[in-house]
Amino acid sequence: MNKFKSTITPYLFIGPALILLLIFSFAPILVALAISFTDMNLSGLANWSQIHFIGLENFIKLFHDETFRQAMLNTLIYVVIGVPSAVISSFVIALLLNFFSNWVSSTFRVIFYVPSITNIVAIAVVWMFLYNQEYGLFNYLLSLIDVDAVPWLEDPLVAKLSLILIAVWKSNGISMLIFLAALQTIPRMYYEAADIDGANRFQKLTKITLPSMSFATFFVTVTTLIGWLQFFEEPFVITDGGPLNGTNSIALFIYQEGFQYSEFGYGAAASFVLFALIIVATLVQFKFRKTD
Amino acid sequence: MKKKTGLFVAMMVGILFILGACSSDDEQAESKDTIKVWTMSPALEEFVKEYENESGMTVKVQTIPWENAHDKLLTAVASGEGPDVLQIGTTWVAEFAEAGTFLDLTDYIDDYENFSPDNFFKGAIETTQYDGETIGIPWYVDTRLLFYRTDILADVGYPEGPETWEDMIDASRKLTARGDDQYALDMPTTDPQFPFMLAWEQGWNYKIGEGAANFEDPAFKDAIELHHLFFEENFSQLEEGKEFFQAFSDGSKPMFFSGPWDIQTIKDRAPEIDGKWDVHLMPKAENNKSMIGGAHFSVFHNSEKVDQSLEFINWMADPETQVAWYKHNSELPANMSAWEDPALTEDPMVSTFGEQLKSTQPLPLIPEFERMGQELLTTLEQINRGGVDIDKALADYRKEVSSILEE
Repeated sequence: MNKFKSTITPYLFIGPALILLLIFSFAPILVALAISFTDMNLSGLANWSQIHFIGLENFIKLFHDETFRQAMLNTLIYVVIGVPSAVISSFVIALLLNFFSNWVSSTFRVIFYVPSITNIVAIAVVWMFLYNQEYGLFNYLLSLIDVDAVPWLEDPLVAKLSLILIAVWKSNGISMLIFLAALQTIPRMYYEAADIDGANRFQKLTKITLPSMSFATFFVTVTTLIGWLQFFEEPFVITDGGPLNGTNSIALFIYQEGFQYSEFGYGAAASFVLFALIIVATLVQFKFRKTD
Repeated sequence: MKKKTGLFVAMMVGILFILGACSSDDEQAESKDTIKVWTMSPALEEFVKEYENESGMTVKVQTIPWENAHDKLLTAVASGEGPDVLQIGTTWVAEFAEAGTFLDLTDYIDDYENFSPDNFFKGAIETTQYDGETIGIPWYVDTRLLFYRTDILADVGYPEGPETWEDMIDASRKLTARGDDQYALDMPTTDPQFPFMLAWEQGWNYKIGEGAANFEDPAFKDAIELHHLFFEENFSQLEEGKEFFQAFSDGSKPMFFSGPWDIQTIKDRAPEIDGKWDVHLMPKAENNKSMIGGAHFSVFHNSEKVDQSLEFINWMADPETQVAWYKHNSELPANMSAWEDPALTEDPMVSTFGEQLKSTQPLPLIPEFERMGQELLTTLEQINRGGVDIDKALADYRKEVSSILEE
């Protein structure tokens, strides 16, 4: 009896969570995978006999779809520019905040963290005013130094960069906290030993701080990369994928197909492409970490 | 420890009791004199009080914002859990009717005095017919007109407003010539219905059987060229620009197309130009057709209270109720005899809308049309912003349409 009890206890503890996870996370993924091979749309939702199995047709169509290819390219640009800038900027902020341990540090920690907990719609409204071409603050400041008005949200390329700027600013808070926590766990004696050896600041940074932070950096990079691959809120609220589809992302494309046009099958197929991309990108990073 | 357990049990019992009380409350409200209504008009909740007093029924109104209405209806269709009566926008009729959302009302038309199709604008009735079924009864209608600044248009020789598209172009040239940042017209770029209105005015019409071939008609290309002309010659601003009502008020964008709701919006947002603006029928080319939109009341397909629901819809469709609704919420009656009421005839702007309603057309009732409209907006963006050649863009559009129709 006692043995039985001790074997069953851990399962009883994780059981409820596991069941919830299976029902609400894994089952929908499987359902979505099944849907991605069908032509399910609104009428199929009401009447299941209208749903037909069409094999890989959705996936083939996706890669011929100009809008989707553009969304893939945009997402790639978001990731390539966004991930390094988000990681590096939050690292630098954490490093700077770590220099002080007084009210300055706590105040700025709050200032950098606030965007992370602010509603995206509120952020969007404020930034859209900042970016406004007629009376936005940015163009006003530029006009003071005689620079022509920049079409912040009106040009496909500039709009992409504008959205990246917002997203980096918004995501800094959380990554910064993780970096700060990691910085504070580095034993002081390393630095004391380095001081005795006469190391300068730069040497201490590259030889002690950076290597000690490698796990935190890895964690932040992986989560940031996944987040940027699913880039959705900013283009959805601010530009709706425009102008000229220049800010559309894969996640937004899935939303448009699935929920605006009710093409559930097609949307599900696109979401599996995204799913595969995220898995691959994450695996690649784990691979790199092993070779460290 | 025991004490704590006892307290915990007592709390759980208490919670269960409260929950139980709630659910029995719900059941009571579900009695046969109660109907559930989903609407996108917040004002309806207040408005139905009168009906409740008259009939002794209880009408539970749930207001859904337009932005969420599509999702909410989708969920209702998927789960089969809908209201008894629901409001449906005319452009969604085909999509949801195809999914079997609505009860076919054909057999009930003769049983209720206000349901006769002869009572309503022809365009409104056309959007209640899908696949041989009558899926709803018109509630209110809306159409688009030209809003313009009388003082500024008088300066360029059109005090009464431009009559034809040639007048429009001529006036626009003069208005744009006023200087930098002076435009003529705020061209709608996010309204998928607008380009089709332009095409109707050029004599184009969508024939359902022809599919993508419809867009080979030269009249359609004329409409696209007209649309492009406004951006090419800077009559309209491509960028977001100033806040619109400010631009209308300071005269930098003295014309725009919109529906009846903007009469009140201008009064509220730009009171300083009171008396300096008016509405005009759509400019004419081959004709001056505007779109007819609005909303219907439908009965959800598995409602158990069909008679009570129809009784309520019958009351809403009554000319008197429709006039009262107009006074209550400024939405235009779909019932033609309601338009004889002085509340509507004595307001010149509203009666212009009434006049335009005689020259309207509904969008083709096929589920794919919403998508076609969105793709057309993309095509127009490619032409106006991306500088793509019109012939090439239209050829691409036809390809896109045929793949949409294939699905």
